[in-house]
Amino acid sequence: MADLTFKPVIGLEIHVQLATKSKLFCSCSTDYIGVAPNTNVCPACLGLPGSLPALNAKAVEYGVKAALALNCTINTATRFHRKNYFYADLPKAYQISQYDLPIAEKGYVDVSTEEGGSYRIGITRLHLEEDAGKLVHEASDGRLVGADQSFVDYNRGGIPLAEIVSEPDIRSAAEAKEYVTRLRQLVRYLGVSDGDMEKGSLRVDANISVKCSDGRWGNRAEIKNLNSLRALERALEYEIKRQSQLLAEGEEITQETRHWDDVEGVTRATRSKEEAHDYRYFPEPDLPPLILPEGYVEKVRNTLPELPWQKMERFMSSYELNETDAMILSEHMALADFYEACVEAGASPLRASNWVRTEVLRVMNEQKIDITEFPVDAAALAQLIAKVDDNKISTTAAREVFDTMAAKKVSLEEAMKICGVEEGGISGSDLEKMIRNILENNTDVVETIKSGQDKKGKKQKFLQGLIMKEARGQTDPREAASLLAKLLEE
Amino acid sequence: MKLYELSAAQITRGIHEGKFSASEVFLSCLARAEVLEPQISAMLTITEESGMAQAKAVDEAVASGKKLPPLAGVPFVVKDNMCTKGIPTTCASKMLMQWKPPYNATVIELLAEAGAVLMGKTNLDEFAMGGTTEHSVYGATSNPWKLDCVPGGSSGGSAASVSAGYVPFSLGSDTGGSIRQPAAFCGIYGFKPTYGLVSRRGLAAFASSLDQIGPFARTVEDLALVLNAISQKDELDSTCSCRPRPDYTKALNAESLKGRRVGVIKEIQEYAIDPEVRKAFDQTLKFCERQGAEIVEITLPTMVEYGLPCYYILALAEASSNLARFDGVRYGLSTDAESLLDLYTKTRAQGFGLEVKRRILVGTYVLSSGYYDAYYLVAQKARQLIKQEFVKAFGSVDTILLPTAPSPAFKKGELINDPIQMYMADIFTLPVNLAGLPALSLNAGFSADGRPLGVQFIGQWWDEEGLLSTASLHEKTFGCAPIAQGGVR
Ligand SMILES: [Zn+2]
Repeated sequence: MADLTFKPVIGLEIHVQLATKSKLFCSCSTDYIGVAPNTNVCPACLGLPGSLPALNAKAVEYGVKAALALNCTINTATRFHRKNYFYADLPKAYQISQYDLPIAEKGYVDVSTEEGGSYRIGITRLHLEEDAGKLVHEASDGRLVGADQSFVDYNRGGIPLAEIVSEPDIRSAAEAKEYVTRLRQLVRYLGVSDGDMEKGSLRVDANISVKCSDGRWGNRAEIKNLNSLRALERALEYEIKRQSQLLAEGEEITQETRHWDDVEGVTRATRSKEEAHDYRYFPEPDLPPLILPEGYVEKVRNTLPELPWQKMERFMSSYELNETDAMILSEHMALADFYEACVEAGASPLRASNWVRTEVLRVMNEQKIDITEFPVDAAALAQLIAKVDDNKISTTAAREVFDTMAAKKVSLEEAMKICGVEEGGISGSDLEKMIRNILENNTDVVETIKSGQDKKGKKQKFLQGLIMKEARGQTDPREAASLLAKLLEE
Repeated sequence: MKLYELSAAQITRGIHEGKFSASEVFLSCLARAEVLEPQISAMLTITEESGMAQAKAVDEAVASGKKLPPLAGVPFVVKDNMCTKGIPTTCASKMLMQWKPPYNATVIELLAEAGAVLMGKTNLDEFAMGGTTEHSVYGATSNPWKLDCVPGGSSGGSAASVSAGYVPFSLGSDTGGSIRQPAAFCGIYGFKPTYGLVSRRGLAAFASSLDQIGPFARTVEDLALVLNAISQKDELDSTCSCRPRPDYTKALNAESLKGRRVGVIKEIQEYAIDPEVRKAFDQTLKFCERQGAEIVEITLPTMVEYGLPCYYILALAEASSNLARFDGVRYGLSTDAESLLDLYTKTRAQGFGLEVKRRILVGTYVLSSGYYDAYYLVAQKARQLIKQEFVKAFGSVDTILLPTAPSPAFKKGELINDPIQMYMADIFTLPVNLAGLPALSLNAGFSADGRPLGVQFIGQWWDEEGLLSTASLHEKTFGCAPIAQGGVR
């Protein structure tokens, strides 16, 4: 008993809401956040008698785009099915979905591990389907249990979803989280979805079973509607423990659908097997087969941007960035674009990386803005970095100038003027004049040094500091140091 | 001649020439309907006010010298399973008794554009399920030629109202013969177009892959005019074809049937066909021969053997799904209930009639897991075979002649408790829907006791012109469809 070990086997079904302007089968708006209930509806998405679906081409394009990024095979001849069941949020009492012929199948995505390696998760299929409406329950305490009334809002009904089904290749809660993170990044990167789990744009169902080292397999449980990465991870951890314990005790695991209670931190059975649905799938007779025209897939493929992981590889090989930096910079397309624009404008890749990761991200954080709204453009930052590289201004001065540009939204020239930073800095006779002035004002210190009492060079360092302070970082420290030494010897 | 006796073409022409006004035509038709309705009960709603307003608008257009659209001022009625904005659309069901759609079916929009004037909504078998127009929550419609007989179904109200002279044309829907069979029973023309020619948007679906809207009329020219108006592509119906449509009135000038091959199905001998129907069929065949057609025997064994079961599996499977939306949640009937499940079961138990329930149950059964492969899948395969058989047949013929129904109109109540026998009445019409072909039923005489006898010509896909051409030749020889007196003289 003690030497039994348990291996979880996890597969995820992820519903991604596609970022189209109109619904999957009608022209109603998909912009339902903050909209009065049942205003973005028409006869088609309400399933009124006589209404018919008309497929949204953009949703197909987004589905294909995501599938291509997931290395899927695209099926150019597919069809839609009806999935029949009764529920108040389902206006037609069937959902139009893809069943035996999904638009894409057999793909994969590589996910990196904490140890620095990567593993591959198979994608079984990606198919298109329409979303259901939303139920609003009203009880005196606002909770579902004991609700006196229920209302249905069909604004969300008919919104296009891509359901991405993974192979049961996931081996831990952490891997599952990593996979979802990766997918979310991908759909955002491609612009096919906002991937927002809180808004419900990305919803996860997990299938999990556990295999015992003695060869026994537990039945599979499905955990529905995990609406945050944290919930996903916690629910899976809980479920792995629960199922392993049951197996260890020689118990049978019930095949069932479970629900994650985030407050209690447990999963609970929601639907028993006896109530299992018979969806009576059959081909949707109101829609002709979906035949993608010749060249369509290639056309969509050509719109695919460089994917984040490809970008990361390239940043490492062409810019010699380390893995961490490359990952940070390739995470968001706009940030990566900003970085690359900066390099293209002449900044050295490493220096630009440092600036973007530290200064740019800091200002974004402070101002709570997106990189697309960033007040300093990449070319200006590159110019600034070049000045530092050319020893025209010091790093300290450059930081001050950068902050001014960001805070006051002014050009590089203006910022330098405001900060009193001059290009080329203080050197030569100007610097000598300044140092002489400082020495005159600090005769006591000069005396101490000259009398040979400054054995550790502390006093000289003090003078050096005064010079740098006076120059406000606008002088080359090495030049200042040698000049100071020369003048002290006079 | 009374205004209500005129054809659609004559009405528009007369209005254009100033012989009479659209309002006068509308009032004449309305009066005709008012006199006969107590005997026939073809109408569920009469849109007197809105119709009168539409007619007046036509008269104003005439007065201001505007160019008139092709059906200007022509009154018409439609089967009450097509959505009419703000006007009750009941599907003859308790489920939708109070329901007024917020939108118009595409065909309604198109007819309005063509200047036609909506006079009302007609009775039907509930949700178009039935062959007699007796399965209506509002009661049965009578056959205008013989009041104790059924007008056929499910578009019985639309057929009866044209036959009785309420209006020169009407619209019906044909899923397995629901336009052609009542046309035959009422002695008028009924046209089921190729699947995909006419938009189904706004037609409460019975079986999506089989349903098609089409016209009833008393002249072939009117059929062509209405077809011109309603056969437009529709982006909101993905099954509606994008191909260009011809001007169907150009098909009416045929001189003979020379060079046309008319097919007769060999297996027709195996059917029990009423002798008088048989005679009408033979006479029509002779007519074709006289007109120069070549008569060719063809064989359609799969259709004959499997057409009926195949049809009833597929149609009812789709129907069970299409009718699931009537659940009491959003519109129509909604019962008091304790829970959601209770709401569904009570609403559907109270809202649907027996025939509809029977069909939903069969449809649900054939789709359920464990039976899907044995029924639905096999029926799909059979349907493909039947289509292929037709493709082959049309290699050697241009059109196929068949009786529209095995018998003339039967007595009310005769088949109401014998669903299988009632389904058998569709035996000659439903293969056409399985294959998506166009077919036209016309009157080929009367039985000794005064019941109309119908035959149908089945055309190749998209060959509505060939059918209209053949029918117009028949009309030139035998005259257009006569108006029934509906028990009133
Ligand atoms: Zn809509």
